[in-house]
Amino acid sequence: MSGVSLVGVTKMYGQVRALDHVSVDVCEGELLALLGPSGCGKTTLLRCVAGLERPDRGTVEIGSRDVTDVQTRRRPIGMVFQSYALFPNMTVRQNIAFPLEVRHMSRKAITPRVEEMLDLVHLTAQADRYPKQISGGQAQRCALGRALAPNPEVLLLDEPLSALDAVVRGRLRDEIRRIQQRVGITAIYVTHDQSEAMAIADRVAVMNAGRVEQIAAPADLYEMPSTQFSATFVGSRNAVELVVRNGKLGIPGSFHIDAPEGSNGHALAFFRPEDVRVSKGDSGPGMDARVELKIFLGSTTRLHLVGEADGLPIAIFGDLPSRQARLIDEGETVRVDVDPDHVQAFPV
Amino acid sequence: MAVSAVTAATAAPERRRQTGGPGRAARYLFFGAALFYLCVPMIAVLIYSFATRWTANVLPDGYTLEWWQATLSNPRIQSAFSTSIMLATLTAAIDIALVVPAAYWSRVRNARIRHVVEVTAALPFALPYIVIAFGLMQFSGMVAPQFQGTFLLLVAGHAAIAFPFVYWAVDGAMAAAGIERLSETAEACGASPFQAVRRVVIPNISAGIVSGGLLSFAASFGEFAMAQIIGRGMDTVPLWSAEMIRSYSDTAGSYNRLAVVTLLTFAVLFALSAVVVYWNRGQTVRLLPGAGATNPTEGDRR
Repeated sequence: MSGVSLVGVTKMYGQVRALDHVSVDVCEGELLALLGPSGCGKTTLLRCVAGLERPDRGTVEIGSRDVTDVQTRRRPIGMVFQSYALFPNMTVRQNIAFPLEVRHMSRKAITPRVEEMLDLVHLTAQADRYPKQISGGQAQRCALGRALAPNPEVLLLDEPLSALDAVVRGRLRDEIRRIQQRVGITAIYVTHDQSEAMAIADRVAVMNAGRVEQIAAPADLYEMPSTQFSATFVGSRNAVELVVRNGKLGIPGSFHIDAPEGSNGHALAFFRPEDVRVSKGDSGPGMDARVELKIFLGSTTRLHLVGEADGLPIAIFGDLPSRQARLIDEGETVRVDVDPDHVQAFPV
Repeated sequence: MAVSAVTAATAAPERRRQTGGPGRAARYLFFGAALFYLCVPMIAVLIYSFATRWTANVLPDGYTLEWWQATLSNPRIQSAFSTSIMLATLTAAIDIALVVPAAYWSRVRNARIRHVVEVTAALPFALPYIVIAFGLMQFSGMVAPQFQGTFLLLVAGHAAIAFPFVYWAVDGAMAAAGIERLSETAEACGASPFQAVRRVVIPNISAGIVSGGLLSFAASFGEFAMAQIIGRGMDTVPLWSAEMIRSYSDTAGSYNRLAVVTLLTFAVLFALSAVVVYWNRGQTVRLLPGAGATNPTEGDRR
């Protein structure tokens, strides 16, 4: 099997622990996204797989072969950087041929392979242009073709879309996914954009402060973040501090759930704005809340709601379908209810 | 169509305002003054090289090709030129061979040696060349006395004082090309360090190498103080020129021949500069530290 396996990887920069005992397994043919804020160690982890950084401790395996001490150029990897890093002195075609030429492949073998790659990344028409003559999206597709040309076992992508504008970004993201699945290559994809990670990955590894907080499929991560960090980082979420009483916490009239272990008087309840149910009038389940602000977001409308729990005001965001929200005015008092199945609590 | 017509209509007065009026006149005036300031001495030298005698009048009393013929056929001047060209070429070659790997290493492998290299590159300007020359004489006297007064020692001396020009040009070109990222990418593509340098690094900093080479060539070609101390008995163009200036009273026409040599020197350096400009067309390069390095992806090269 030809996945990637990192075991106990630790990397120090002086006193800073960029990676702290990270262990990750990437399955064969899987696309794993490394997601986290800047400085969380995701790029360092990718560079350890590439061999551009040497871990202080731990091992890196590619396809069950230990490559910890193998030079970058001898690892079976292809890499795509945020800044494209195309060679400016070479055309698109020459860029893609470069990794084949340095491996001393014959001209006869190189030419068809380059044509195949040009076709794969849809750059046949631009093959003889220089990097300066093509757009950012085309440059990144060229970089992708160059990375895949020598048929590597692992594709490493370091924020490949961050330098592109929004429209190109969405298109190229789907394009990368299509190519990755078509080639069937194991891939590690670094990003700080959670929606990008969700859209492209088979699994997402959420990283924070040099550690992996959680690895899960996008839908599971979205529904059930296992740590407070993943809960705050992935998706937009309500974080409400509530009083713990008799091992329970909740919003009066709405949910009551068991307090998390280790909570001490207070706990944080997390739930998504789309799991907040809002109804007009003062009947039905839930607590009373005032609509402070209505923000139209297209198909949904976000309400800023202020209610009261245990004598303290609590602020909640609720997302409603816009057609339903039209019936609610700012300043109105509504009933607010949250489905307890979608509430998660963490100690403060 | 309608949109572009509107833009053209609004852009036109804008352009007129920018180029017309007193601003334009002032620019031409400044440009003309600078051209005059730079060209008049050259023209005077040119006329002098053809003058029989040039005394009381605005223009010479008569014209002759004698000085050009005499100078071009003079074996001493020929040998001074070949010595100087050899000296300057070797200096530039040695500096390029030493500086390019050092600059590359300091950028890609070990950023800590950058400070050392930068301080070293400032030293030739902090010390007068005479001091450096005496230091070299002393040092070679202690270590390798057989090199004293040789051409090789002069080459070494010139290489030592001219290398900062190469360093700044090459380092600037490396910054502009983003050489760290490019060599990392080459490595990730499977290239050996040698392949990375030959196929990726050097082609993308060639403008800096050529510019730096020219600057060090010129610095060596015109250098006088060190050549006089280390190269006793040698004939370089500046040494020969100094001799001509001193011998004005006893050799007729020495200033005229000096004018010819000055023009020849100018021609050599001008031709080299033209080569450099041709070579660098479109490539961005930073010649001096502190000057903004331009991003190669933003320029329009073609």
